[in-house]
Amino acid sequence: MLGVLDACFIIDWSRYRRRELLSKLFDIMYIHDEVLAQIRSTMAIEYVTELMTKGILRLYAWSDTDEVEFIRLREEVSSDPRIPAVERPDILCLIIAKSLSAILLSENVGIHRIVQYNPRYKDVNVWTALEVLENMVYKGLITVRSEGEFLNCIREYEEDTAHKFRRKRIGECIERLREWLRR
Amino acid sequence: MSKRGNIPPKELLEEWKKEDEEARRIRRESADWNFINKQAPHIKAALIYFIEQGDRYVAARIAGLTIDEFDEIRRKAKIPVVI
Repeated sequence: MLGVLDACFIIDWSRYRRRELLSKLFDIMYIHDEVLAQIRSTMAIEYVTELMTKGILRLYAWSDTDEVEFIRLREEVSSDPRIPAVERPDILCLIIAKSLSAILLSENVGIHRIVQYNPRYKDVNVWTALEVLENMVYKGLITVRSEGEFLNCIREYEEDTAHKFRRKRIGECIERLREWLRR
Repeated sequence: MSKRGNIPPKELLEEWKKEDEEARRIRRESADWNFINKQAPHIKAALIYFIEQGDRYVAARIAGLTIDEFDEIRRKAKIPVVI
């Protein structure tokens, strides 16, 4: 499974007590050098370096074609003030994810909304840390025997990173997990 | 596809509006306002912007900091990322 990392996701995930699990969920992850340049904190830099040293995280080779797509998508998302603002690094990550058919790890609300309505990007999978944790359960990286145990797992992440997942998002996730636990 | 064809439908815009209001309320209620009010004006402005908009990139720019430098202050101000 391929992943693409955005800056805020790495900054947050690097603070999580079980951060080492991410490299067991994905075979290869990619990062744009403009995204990498935004990471400055010791904790996040150490984590990124660790992933790169293991060869799990790689720099994406940005092309002229990608840049043309960036201009096109930027124009699309900035053409209506009702569409949430997204910054260049966020758009780059989305383009990389589409290009590689990879899962984008991002908690940028604007990016999540683009894939909700833009026909060219609707098939791109964008995961928050919540979906990452959920998929770690399915892959056996986190052992969970009940919904309660998974909720504890979510709480740990929220505590470590000062996050708050929406009740609706957690509810949808628990619904999927419940199905999985029944099997 | 024309740019106009890429405009989100009205129902989705309504849903987003509700999500934004909920997120804003959670950030406002969780924030440590004593901490925020003691900050230098540009940091305070950035934290308030983040509470209202939830955008770390722009908030970090207002503060004149990198995203993770701003994020350190956000955590101290007890403002959650709501997603």
